[in-house]
Amino acid sequence: MPETDQPHAVVGRPDGADAAVIDRPGFDRRAFLRRTALTGVGVGSVSTLLAACGSSASSGGSGGSGSVFGSHPGYKFVFVNHVTTNPFFTPTQYGIADACKLLGCTYQWTGSENSDVSQMVNAFNSAIASKADGIAVALIDLHAFNAPVEKALKAGIPVVAYNADAEGNARLAYVGQDLKLAGEKMGERIVAKVPSGEVGLFIATPGSANLQPRIEGAEKVLKAHGISIHTVATGAAVPGEESAIEAFYKSHTGVKGMYSVDGGSTESLAKVMQKLGLKGKVHAGGFDLTEQTQNLLKAGFIEFTIDQQPYLQGFVPALQLFFYKVSGTQTGPFEANTGLKFVTKDTVDPYVTKSRYEGTTSAAAVVK
Amino acid sequence: MASVAQDPASTGPGGPEGPAQSRRALPGWRQIGSRIIALREGSIIVITLVVAIYFSANTSNFLTGGNLETLLPYFAPFAILAAGEVFVMILGEIDLSIAGMYLFAPIIYYKLNTSVGLSLGLSLIGALLICVAVGAMNGVFVSVLGINSFVTTLGTLFTFEGLSLIISKGTPVATPGGQVPVGTFGKVFGAGTYSELIWAIAIVVLLQVALTFTRWGLYTVAIGSNKLGAAEAGVRVNLVMIRNFMLCALTAGLVGIFEAIRAQTVQPNPAGPNEILFFAVAAAVIGGTLLTGGSGTVVGALIGALFLGILKDGLILQGVQANYLLFYTGLAVIVAMTANVFVGRARRGHGGSD
Repeated sequence: MPETDQPHAVVGRPDGADAAVIDRPGFDRRAFLRRTALTGVGVGSVSTLLAACGSSASSGGSGGSGSVFGSHPGYKFVFVNHVTTNPFFTPTQYGIADACKLLGCTYQWTGSENSDVSQMVNAFNSAIASKADGIAVALIDLHAFNAPVEKALKAGIPVVAYNADAEGNARLAYVGQDLKLAGEKMGERIVAKVPSGEVGLFIATPGSANLQPRIEGAEKVLKAHGISIHTVATGAAVPGEESAIEAFYKSHTGVKGMYSVDGGSTESLAKVMQKLGLKGKVHAGGFDLTEQTQNLLKAGFIEFTIDQQPYLQGFVPALQLFFYKVSGTQTGPFEANTGLKFVTKDTVDPYVTKSRYEGTTSAAAVVK
Repeated sequence: MASVAQDPASTGPGGPEGPAQSRRALPGWRQIGSRIIALREGSIIVITLVVAIYFSANTSNFLTGGNLETLLPYFAPFAILAAGEVFVMILGEIDLSIAGMYLFAPIIYYKLNTSVGLSLGLSLIGALLICVAVGAMNGVFVSVLGINSFVTTLGTLFTFEGLSLIISKGTPVATPGGQVPVGTFGKVFGAGTYSELIWAIAIVVLLQVALTFTRWGLYTVAIGSNKLGAAEAGVRVNLVMIRNFMLCALTAGLVGIFEAIRAQTVQPNPAGPNEILFFAVAAAVIGGTLLTGGSGTVVGALIGALFLGILKDGLILQGVQANYLLFYTGLAVIVAMTANVFVGRARRGHGGSD
């Protein structure tokens, strides 16, 4: 389906849309409710907005949303990222692209390829120098971005954090998962499966602000239940992660559960579970949904993975920055928790089909 | 050999003046242009200017005070790294461990300050001394034991990147002296807006003078051109080589600490430094230092770093997306270096030499 048709499709279903959809023959009401429940409040408000400005968005281009929001100059937003070419953020980029297309804005996706903080700071400063209309940044370091963010705000450029947040930073809002809470919820899930004994926890890069809070949250819960924890730093490259996890298991064969707190080590963990035939012997789970993780989850090698909806981590900040610029009054962007969704073997199916929202295809499609 | 060592001075402005003499009546832009182009660094200066003019014309925010400040960290750290690397490259060797020193020095600096309790200044000196010791070790392995420098320094690169991860437990920390409000120490060593620029210029001038006018520089070029010949002429080859590796490690450690103070964070992740290593060596080569040794220029390395910095900053300002950045950078380097060869031919026509 061509991309330009999408807004019309949305507009074609105004408020009563839900009822109309439910009446459709062959409609699986249960699946529909499950999906609705999963996507939550954030998407609800976004879809209202989609409907609100959909009619003009199809015209595209700069200031294309003119008839709804007045003619604006076509703002340019800069997204500073720590791993610009990492596939995890492909759906995030689609989210930004879609929001910008809808609103008649443009964006730039920049930063560092390998979590190099000084490169990110340079890119952030370039964004200020280029007089960007708004900046969104993944605050993976607790200190490095404090001064640049204040500099941007002083220059009148709104700054929103996405994906990772740093306490004490002056950013206007954070859009992403509540990382510590996510770790705690994972910890509770672990305790339910492994009430006592040894557990291995895997983290790619300890200390980085997008991962560390998760492992701390999990450790807090596990310690409270007297479970003994082995934390293993697996490194940033997937092949190395696999061998680190395999080596851990071979030296700790009595382990009851193995869990990862980032996308790379979750995929690696699932592969090791498959390779060593540990399904049913060791409990396992993790975070995020790479294509491999999806398939191995479906095959039951890990029991769950936690989705944080990366698409929304691009879409929502772009909206926030747009309203800040266009209104002059909507200048207090809201904190948005993009989700803490446990995905299991039974709920992974919608992910396994190719989807723009998961970054597995660039084609937009309406889920049937 | 000796003439090669001195040629930036002797064949520069004061070189053979066949065409220039006839125009002596008109000392103007033409003559100045002719003199610049006759410098060893002439062609890369021209190319860098062309790139700067291109971005000034095409990107409204390139030629602004704000962006000139932004531009500094895109090239000043690389200029210092490349300046040290030039001394090793002229020998016909290479030092890959600069990325290791870049990563390791700030971690030692942090540990000396927070765990040992030394003052900021002493911590800095302590960290740099360790870097110099590693450099000496590299030098001994390469010169005395005769182990290939690529392999030796690859070994030290991995070793010290590994040690960085072990000592820091893989966890980033706040840099002492870098926290807001930044004190005088922090402002001098990296955090001040012009701090890295001033250090870069000072180091480049100092090392260029050392390379052009001192015995050390002369010996360095001599060893790179003909190691055996230099040894037979009485040059203490091992000593010079060890000294150059020490210098290279020192500049790398210094830049590592500058960058940690500037970014306010000590990072243990080796991926960034490995990329920086590549650009530092590229800056030296683009600036006119031969990978095969025997010839090199520190000022050229600064211009090479400036070229790469302008390119990256300009492309980002133009709004190039991350997935396209490497592609455009790569194309631009190929085009610029091809042009460099042609400008280089013109340069020789104006009295310059290789």
